[in-house]
Amino acid sequence: MANCYALIGWSLQVIESMQKTGKPFVVVSLPDFESYANEHDIPFVSYEFSEWSDSSNSLDLYEKLKEFNVDVAVPLFEETVEWAGALNSIYRGDPKVLNRAFLFRNKAMMKRKALIGGLKVGLFEEVYNKEGVRTFMKRLNEANLNLPDDESSWVHLKPFSAAGTVGHRLLRSEEDIDKKVKDSDFPCLAESHLVGKEFSCEAFIHKGKIRFLNITDYVHLGYSNFIPEGKYLESKRELIHQKMQQLVDIFGIEYGMIHPEWFIDENDNLSFGEVACRIPGGHILELCSKAYDFDALAAFVLSHDPSLTEDELDDIFPADDYKAENYYGNVMIYPQKNQISKLEIPEELQEEPYFLDHTLVPPLTTQKISDREGYGNHFGAVNFRGPDPERMEELLLHYETVDFYQ
Amino acid sequence: MIKEHDAPVKGFSNFDRSFQELKEATSLTRKEKAQKLATQIEMMARTKRGLTYLYDQIDDLLEADFFAETPWKDASKLVPSLVKGTLRAGGATTCYEIVSDLRMLAVARKKITIQNISPDDATKYLEEVIVNNLEFVFNELTEESREMMSKQDITKVQNLFDFLIDHSGFDSVKDRLAEEIKQICAQRPVVTRKVRRLIHLVKYQVDITPDTPADKLLRFYVDAVYHPSTHAAKCASAEEYQQLITKLSKDDLHKEAEEMAHFMKDTGLCTSFMSVLFLHGIEHDSTIIPKLLGLSENGKAEWLSYKETITRLMREIAGIHIYQCLYGLARMLEKNLFSRRAVRSGLNNLRLASIHPHAETRIMKSVVKPHSDVSAKQYLMSSIIRILGQPLGVGQGNNATCQSARGMSMWSQHSPAKLISMIITVATQNNLHYMFENRDLESIKLGKGLVDKLDYNLDAVSVILVPHLDKIYNEMMKMASGRTDDPHKWVNPAMYGHWIQLGFASCYNYLFQSIHDYKGFLRIFFAAYHTKYNSGRKIVYPNPVGIFITTNKGAMVGFHAVSLLRVKWDEHSQEVRAYFLNPNNEGRQDWGQGIQPTVYGHGEKAGESSLPFYQFAARIYAYHFNKLEVKQRISDVPEQEIDRVDKLARESWGRSYNWIETPKQW
Repeated sequence: MANCYALIGWSLQVIESMQKTGKPFVVVSLPDFESYANEHDIPFVSYEFSEWSDSSNSLDLYEKLKEFNVDVAVPLFEETVEWAGALNSIYRGDPKVLNRAFLFRNKAMMKRKALIGGLKVGLFEEVYNKEGVRTFMKRLNEANLNLPDDESSWVHLKPFSAAGTVGHRLLRSEEDIDKKVKDSDFPCLAESHLVGKEFSCEAFIHKGKIRFLNITDYVHLGYSNFIPEGKYLESKRELIHQKMQQLVDIFGIEYGMIHPEWFIDENDNLSFGEVACRIPGGHILELCSKAYDFDALAAFVLSHDPSLTEDELDDIFPADDYKAENYYGNVMIYPQKNQISKLEIPEELQEEPYFLDHTLVPPLTTQKISDREGYGNHFGAVNFRGPDPERMEELLLHYETVDFYQ
Repeated sequence: MIKEHDAPVKGFSNFDRSFQELKEATSLTRKEKAQKLATQIEMMARTKRGLTYLYDQIDDLLEADFFAETPWKDASKLVPSLVKGTLRAGGATTCYEIVSDLRMLAVARKKITIQNISPDDATKYLEEVIVNNLEFVFNELTEESREMMSKQDITKVQNLFDFLIDHSGFDSVKDRLAEEIKQICAQRPVVTRKVRRLIHLVKYQVDITPDTPADKLLRFYVDAVYHPSTHAAKCASAEEYQQLITKLSKDDLHKEAEEMAHFMKDTGLCTSFMSVLFLHGIEHDSTIIPKLLGLSENGKAEWLSYKETITRLMREIAGIHIYQCLYGLARMLEKNLFSRRAVRSGLNNLRLASIHPHAETRIMKSVVKPHSDVSAKQYLMSSIIRILGQPLGVGQGNNATCQSARGMSMWSQHSPAKLISMIITVATQNNLHYMFENRDLESIKLGKGLVDKLDYNLDAVSVILVPHLDKIYNEMMKMASGRTDDPHKWVNPAMYGHWIQLGFASCYNYLFQSIHDYKGFLRIFFAAYHTKYNSGRKIVYPNPVGIFITTNKGAMVGFHAVSLLRVKWDEHSQEVRAYFLNPNNEGRQDWGQGIQPTVYGHGEKAGESSLPFYQFAARIYAYHFNKLEVKQRISDVPEQEIDRVDKLARESWGRSYNWIETPKQW
């Protein structure tokens, strides 16, 4: 067992889960959280992750963590991935651990790795200005044999290292390039549109093998999802598991959890989107915990520990043949109007048997909604639970359109 | 396409599961889990079954620290008058309030025990909550509530009150109700909306046939409003009465007038029947008028001297829909206000002025059920008459504008002509002009006042005057802040006028952020105002005083502005009492430590609240005084008087502050 886990980043839920495991840990995060940590007896080291200098770097952090006897670092958020990578490369005596962390932080590099390893990816390129995007789009259209009158092939533009969908732009035509793209967006990644049903996996890895694979059914990217996966994806589980192991092998991942996004088309071709190794958004691990009746957050942390034994792993994860009885899903709610003053839960939702609870925030007296950036700040989520995945999908799609905020 | 599906059992299993999660949470995620649970409780509150289920688990909920990090955490710090607001707020707030009231019920019924609240305390709390929320008990919602709340929230709140009444019975509430009406009437408020609503609810929803004292009292009030005389009792409407009186004899009419006057003098409430009789009187038999208004010889003489002026004025104001001003008129006559030429001219000027459209809109907004044949000016004039006649009945409504209200009250008493002239200015120009420390302050040029959104539950005069006063007050406060003393020291004399003494004492020291030389502060107050130690000097002009508002356990809630009006020996209670105006018209309150202001029975004039002097002193934080006269009397004040007040202060609001003992140069 590890001597001590270093949780890089601040999350009350993860801290609570770790407390319940009874295993020693220390939280590394911004100075803002220090007083709260002291008040609640949470072991804490404050660190400014945005600073990288002679005095503020991974070696310095390594020294600070020595007094806690830390030997495993766990990244909770996107911006802490390389820090955890640096520390773990020291703990495991393997410099490649850090290099791998850098791959996770650059969407273009990770695609390159996937391509080299034989996974299907679309067309992609780093672009440095609008001309670059235009050229990329032209080449894409040419390769797709598009005639001038045909609809242009879509191009996605993404910053290299932002979390989730932040800064993500969809360009459907050359006009969109002028309309939607600013000079300050560059450099970034341009990629072709991938076809098929989108979904994500959360794979917990130990000693290079997938110990537990969760598949999250994306109903509508950025709005709703549910776990476990619906009937269609369930039927493709073996194939997905294979591809996942391939991904793990290509990247050489030994410990931790990865959260890749895939597209599966009607011919069972899986295309790789991108992958992250920190806690996914959309409350995915919460849903996962409920669906499979285990603490996914604790499992996330513990799977980073190389010294865990088989028995200990069996304790953390659900049994291989565990059959989830219910599906857990949520839909993120964004106000549709520009000025809101009241929150109203519709009658039909209150009558709905699948309705579990919600985290919707009532508006301040009257609130203006600013434009959404990267799917913006949702005002909360509505949670559902039920035995029929088709019904679940129906409900999630329906409630996305309901205006909760008047 | 909706398929048949086996839905999970729609019982409380979701609640149970979330509740379990809350029980297992540590302090890190407890608040978040409680909020999630609250969203399910919201649903359970829609049915009686759900509320019962919640009530049965109330002690488990408390053990799981459901109220952690919320304002409801400490049940002994709750204030019944705030419950309506939180119930109407919607969402999680409503839900927490519902559970809080279930908790209180559980204490009242001895189902659970909580520190610092006895079952008796809890019962009284709930009675007060019920009396303040009868609109939900009887499903007769005010327009306001209907607008603020969603249908589901209304259902939940009504369920709550059904539940509370089912479990606590209504009879004890009747006593409380009768007392509430009596207290409100005793203060002779200018705006009678609230008490009329209560009486209306009593008439149509409460069984008052038994003969308990409470029932008798309630019947009296119902008669005052609905059957104020023998013949009016036979009519279904004022229009009917109008027809009827043309057939009555002169003697009958005079008797009608006397009967109505009797009710009016006892309650301060008028009716449309009265207005009909009044108008009949000024056209056909003016000898009815003194009887109808219950005038004394003095009032009658005033009426006769100015009959023409008053008749001309009232003909334009009174009507079937405007009648409450008759009480104000009676009071004006008794105070000989019409003898003042300035008042007569002022009223006449207003009669002839044209109202600014902005002011008109505001006036109409303040009327609950405007009638097409009543003009904004009529409402305004009616309101002026009431304010001139009932200076202590001016209220602030649901706004934090106590400073403006006490100003209006003071001008009404000491400078009615000035008040009228201010009203004319705002009514016609929608503007107000003040001079403060060499700066010209025009209210339309200023930024926001203290109050963002005015609550229109006010009389027509307040509704147009207060927003301007409030802006000017706020600007003055800004200009006078950052000095070494409380800005009120400069603002009060400038705002209210030369009736305010220039000496000013505040016990709070801004520099040290502490209470400084509290005993010195008290000595001056006693020397200036206690009739035993100030050579029997009487207060001439209202003294604006700042007080701490505390809960019934003495804990600090906030600050409030009142006016100290008189200090006098009261025969009945055998002690010196302080009489003051409290513009929130909640005359009877409980400020803890046995400090409970009364509105009658201790020598109060209608509209005054009173307390034993030393108790009043235990709640003040700032006042004005005459610097020159006080100095020599300070040594006359015995130390034990000061010590007694000091102790009360330290053990109540004093707990929220640091204290510094070093003497200060007052």
